[in-house]
Amino acid sequence: MEVLSNNLQVLFQGLALGSIYALVALGFVLIIRATNVVNFAQGDFAMLGGYAMVLFTVGIPGNPDLHIPGIGIHVPYWLAIVLAAGVMAVIGIAFNFGVYYPLRNRQFLPVLISTLGASIFLQNTVLAVFNPQPRPLDKLIHSEGITVGGVFLDSQYLVILGFTILAVAFQYFFFEHTLIGKKLQATSQDKDMARLLGIPVSLMIIITFIYSAVLGGLAGVLVGPILFVSIGMGSTIALKAFAATIIGGFGDVAGAIVGGLIIGVIESFAAYYISVPYKDAYAFLALFLVLLLRPQGIFGEKVSEKA
Amino acid sequence: MPLLELKNVSSAYGSVQALRGVSLHVEKGEVVTLLGANGAGKSTTLRTISGLIRPTSGEIWFEGRRIDALAPEQIVRSGISHVPEGRRIFPGLTVRENIMLGSTSRGHLSKQMMAEDVEQMFSIFPDIKRFENALGWTLSGGQQQMLAVARGLMARPKLLLLDEPSLGLAPVIVQQLFATIREIHALGTTILLVEQNAHMALSVAARGYVLETGSLTVQGTTTELLDNEEVRAAYLGGHGA
Amino acid sequence: MTPAAAHAGPTLRLQNNAGGLVVLAILAIGLPLLPYAFPISDYVLNIFLNSVTYAMAVLGMVVVLGYAGQINLAQAAFFGVGAYAVALGTVDHGVSFWISMLLGMGAAAIAGLVLGLTTLRLGGHYLAMITISFQQIFDLVMVNWIPVTHGPDGIAGINPPSLFGLALADKRAYLLFCAVVLFLLIWFVWWLPGTRLGRAMRAVRDNELAAETIGVHTLRTKVIAFTISAVLGGIGGSLYAAGFSYISPDNFSFLRSIEFLTAVLLGGAQSPFGAALGTVLIVLLPEWLRFLKSLYLAVYGLGVILIIVFLPEGIWGLLRNAFQRVRKPKVPTVEVVPALNFDIQAERGRPILNLINLQKHFGGLRAVDGIDLRVEAGTVHALIGPNGSGKTTSLNVVNGIYKPTAGRIDFDGTDITQLTPHERAGLGMGRTFQNIRLFQTMTALENVMVGGQRDNNPMEAGGDALVTRALAALDFVGVLNRAQMIVRNLPYGHQRLVEIARALAAHPKLLLLDEPGAGLNQTEKQALVALLKRLRGHGLTIFLIDHDMGLVEKVSDTITVLNFGKKIAEGSPQDVLRHPDVIAAYLGEGPTGATARA
Repeated sequence: MEVLSNNLQVLFQGLALGSIYALVALGFVLIIRATNVVNFAQGDFAMLGGYAMVLFTVGIPGNPDLHIPGIGIHVPYWLAIVLAAGVMAVIGIAFNFGVYYPLRNRQFLPVLISTLGASIFLQNTVLAVFNPQPRPLDKLIHSEGITVGGVFLDSQYLVILGFTILAVAFQYFFFEHTLIGKKLQATSQDKDMARLLGIPVSLMIIITFIYSAVLGGLAGVLVGPILFVSIGMGSTIALKAFAATIIGGFGDVAGAIVGGLIIGVIESFAAYYISVPYKDAYAFLALFLVLLLRPQGIFGEKVSEKA
Repeated sequence: MPLLELKNVSSAYGSVQALRGVSLHVEKGEVVTLLGANGAGKSTTLRTISGLIRPTSGEIWFEGRRIDALAPEQIVRSGISHVPEGRRIFPGLTVRENIMLGSTSRGHLSKQMMAEDVEQMFSIFPDIKRFENALGWTLSGGQQQMLAVARGLMARPKLLLLDEPSLGLAPVIVQQLFATIREIHALGTTILLVEQNAHMALSVAARGYVLETGSLTVQGTTTELLDNEEVRAAYLGGHGA
Repeated sequence: MTPAAAHAGPTLRLQNNAGGLVVLAILAIGLPLLPYAFPISDYVLNIFLNSVTYAMAVLGMVVVLGYAGQINLAQAAFFGVGAYAVALGTVDHGVSFWISMLLGMGAAAIAGLVLGLTTLRLGGHYLAMITISFQQIFDLVMVNWIPVTHGPDGIAGINPPSLFGLALADKRAYLLFCAVVLFLLIWFVWWLPGTRLGRAMRAVRDNELAAETIGVHTLRTKVIAFTISAVLGGIGGSLYAAGFSYISPDNFSFLRSIEFLTAVLLGGAQSPFGAALGTVLIVLLPEWLRFLKSLYLAVYGLGVILIIVFLPEGIWGLLRNAFQRVRKPKVPTVEVVPALNFDIQAERGRPILNLINLQKHFGGLRAVDGIDLRVEAGTVHALIGPNGSGKTTSLNVVNGIYKPTAGRIDFDGTDITQLTPHERAGLGMGRTFQNIRLFQTMTALENVMVGGQRDNNPMEAGGDALVTRALAALDFVGVLNRAQMIVRNLPYGHQRLVEIARALAAHPKLLLLDEPGAGLNQTEKQALVALLKRLRGHGLTIFLIDHDMGLVEKVSDTITVLNFGKKIAEGSPQDVLRHPDVIAAYLGEGPTGATARA
C-alpha cells in the first residue's frame, strides 16, 4: 500500500507545516480581536524568533559596514528558547507602543500600511545585523525520526505537532479558565464596556501583543530547523497565515487553526502531485476562491453596514 | 451634600451639542429618574458622568470630589457603576463569567468571596440562575438586561447608573425588571435611572428631571410629574392633553 | 428666466491648480531638454528615466487609492504586465513596440477589471489580501513559467521604439518622449477629479454607503478606478522596459508595489503633483541615503510608519493645507442662479410608495414585523414610534440598504423590492441620513453635484446644467454662499441643509428624511419646518422619521405609528397624537398596566 503510505506521508507533512501557519494565524487573530489591527508584520515575528535562536546558539556574523563585530554565543538549546521567548516579549511591547498606540484611533488603511512599514523595518534591521545567507538551526531532538507503518515521521515535525497541541491546550486553559483570560476576551468582545467595568484595557492589549509575538516567535523557532532561518521567511508565512484566518473565518480563533492546517495540507498535496515551484500559488488560489465564493470563511459570520 | 451633583454641564456628541447647561443632583439612597424623548440627551448625560464623554463645560461632583476630568476606569473605582443602554453583555462569555467581571473594579476577590457575591446576584435575579453556564448571546433580551444589571451591581457601587433598561423589552418583562429595580433600591443602592418609559420610571423613583433637546425643562417629585402636562408634551409635542 | 440668461450663468473654477500645471509643463519639457544642453552621465539619465516611468505607475495609485479610496498592492504586477508585454512582444515575437504596448495595456486593463470586480463583495483588508495574492501569483508565474517568460534570467535586448520614423535610440530623445507622455498622464489625472467620474470616485472614497444611496454606481466606479490604475501602470512598465532594455521578475515584485504605495503616501495621494514628488523621492532616497548602507531599507520601513503617523496627507498635502490657510475660499461669481426646477412627474391618485406586508428579521429579532403602508403623492408622511420600534429599519429597507425578509415595495407603481439603492435613486428616490453622510473632503457644491448625477435625472443638456442645478438647490435651502466651502468646515446646521440640497438636485419624486431635526436647535428646527413646507408646496412627497413631535405635528399630513415592528396607529396628527395606544407606547405602561388618561 505504497500509495496510501505516500499520501499519509504527505498528509503528515502538510499538517506539520499547517501547524506553523496555525500558530502564526492564532497570534494574528488575537490581535485582530483585541484591537482590530490587521498586522502584516505577524510573520516577521516568526522570522525574529528564528534569528533569536541563531543569535543565542551561534552568535552574529557582524557587519563591517556598520562596525558591528562578529560575536560567538553558545547557550544551551533549551535556554536559547527561553531567551528567544523573552526577546519576543520585548518586541511585542515595542510593537504595541511603536505601531499600535500612535495609530489606535485612525482608519484601517493607515494602520495596515504602518504594519507593512514595520515589517520592512524588522526584516532589514535583522539583515543589517546578520547577512542575507539563510541559516540552519539544530533540531530540538537529535534524532532523525521514527517510522510508523511505512510512514516516516521526522522528529522536528513531531515536535511541531506536539507543541501546537500544547499551545492550543494552553490557550484554551488560559482563556477559558483564568480570570485574566476572561478579561482579555471581554476586551476583544467589547472594549468600551470592558473599560466601564474597570478592566485595564490598555494593559490587556499589551498582553495580547506580547502573547502574539511570543507565539509567532516560537513558530519560527520550530520551523527554523526545517526551512532554514532567512530574512524573507516571515513574509510568506504571514500571507499564508492571513489566508488561513480568512478561510477559517475572519476573527475566529478555531478558524485560524483549522484554516492553517487546511492550507498546509493543500500546499503539501499540491507540491507532491502537481508541482513544487507553484505550491505557494495554491494557497493564494484557495484564498481567492474562498474570498469570491464564501468570504465569511468556514466559521465566520456575515457583517453588513448599518445606515 | 448630595452624592452626585452636576453643575451646569454641557457636552457634545460628535459635532452635536447634546447637553446644554444641565444641573441636577442625586442624594444618597434615592432613586432619581431622567426622562425625555429619544435624542433628548439622557444617555449623553450618563455617559458624561461615567467618563465616556468629557464635558465641554460645567462640573461633576461625586462624594465631594470633582470627577469630570477622570478616565472611566477611575470613575468606576470611585464607586459609580454604569449599565449602558443596549445591555452590552459579553456575548462570548457565560452568564457567570459576565457577572464575575463586574467585580473587577473592587480588585482581587478571594474565591469564596467571589462565589458568595455571585450567589447573591442570583438570589436577586433568580431567572438567570439556570443559565449560569450559558453564553451571553443565547439569552433573551430581558434576561440579558437582568444580567447587565447584575454585572453592574457586582461592583457594589455607591451609585448605579441605569440607561434605558426597558428598551426593546416586552411590557411584561419590563414589569419584572422594575420590580427587581425596586428590590435593589430597598437593599440600599442609590440609582440614577434614565428611561423613555416615563410611567415605569416614575413608579420606582422619588424624583425626576425631564430633558428636551439637551436642556432640563421640568423637575419635581413623582407626584408632581405624574400628571404634569409638560411631561407629556416633552414626548408628544403640544398634544396628549 | 430666458435661456440666454440661464447660460450666462455660473463661471466657476472647480480646479485651483492650473498654476501648478504650468510649472509642471515647464519642468516636464525643460528638464529632459537639459541633457541636450549639458553633458549628463548615463547614470543620471537612468535616474530620470526611472523616475519618469515609475511616476506613471504611482499616478495609477493616485487614481485608485487617492481618488477612489481602494487599496491596491498589486501595482507592480500591472507595471510588470506592461513591461513583459513589450519585452516578449518585441524580442520573442517580433511584434512592433506600439502594438505590444497596446496589448500590454489591454492585458493590464483586464486584470484591473477583474480585481475591481472583487470589490463587489469585499473591501478593506480583504481587498488588500486579494491584491497581494494577485501580485504573488503574478510573481510566481513570471519566475516559474520559464518557456514563456524566461524566468529569473529575464529578457534582454529590448529596443526603444521609433516614433514617426525617428528612432528614439538616443536615450535623451527617449527620455524626452517619456516625459511628454508623463505630462499628458499627469494632465489626465489632474483633470479627472473635476469630472463626473472623478466626483463619483471621491464620493465612494468619502462615504460609500451614501454614494450608493444617492445614485452612484459604486461597483462600476471602483472597477473603472482599478482599470485606470492598471492601465497607467502598464504604460509605465512598457516604457520602462524599452528604456532599460533588460527586465527581470525582481523589478515587479511585492516590494516594488510597496514602493509605489510609499511614494504615493509620501508625496500625497490626493494629487498627481504629490505622486510626482513622491516618486522622485523614492527614486532618489536610495542614492542619498547610500551612506546608511545596509541600514537603508530598515530606515525606509521606519520612515513609512513615521509618514503615516505624522504626514497623513503626504508632503504635497502639507504644502497645500498651509497654502489654503493663507488663501480664502472663493465665493462663486454668479450673476443669476435660476430657481430650482421641481417638475414632479408622479401621478396623483395612486400612492407613490406602497409597502405590502413588509418584514425584516435579524436572526430572531423581528425589527419590522408585517407593515402595510401607503404614502400618497404630494403629502408629508411621518413615521414615528418609540426607540427600537422599527422606524429606521423600515426606512433602510425602503431605500434598499437592507433586503426585506418578506413583503413587497412598490414605488410609483414599479416593484422595486429587488433593486439596489442606486437603482432606486435612479427612479427618483432621495434620502438624507440621521448621522449626516456628506462627502467630507468635497465642497458643498461638489456634494450636491454628485446628487444630481443620478441616472435618469431630467436636466437640460450641456456641461453647465449640472452646476446650475446644484447651485439652484443650494440656493433653495439657503446656503448658496457656502457653495465653495469644504463641508467638514461647515457648522452642523448648514451640513444638514447641504444634505437636503444634495437630495433635491436629484429631482426626487420621494424624499426620505431620517431624523432631519436631530441635533438642531429650536431656531434651526423652525427653519426646517418652513423648508419642508415649501418642498411640499412644490409637489414633493416626503416620508420622514423624527422624534420631535412638535416638528412632526406642524409638518405632517399623515402620521404612522410603529411599536415593536408593527403599525399601531395611523391618521392625521390630531387623531394620532391623542390616541391612547400611541400615548401608552411612548409614555409606557405603569406597573399596574395603567396608562395616561387620554
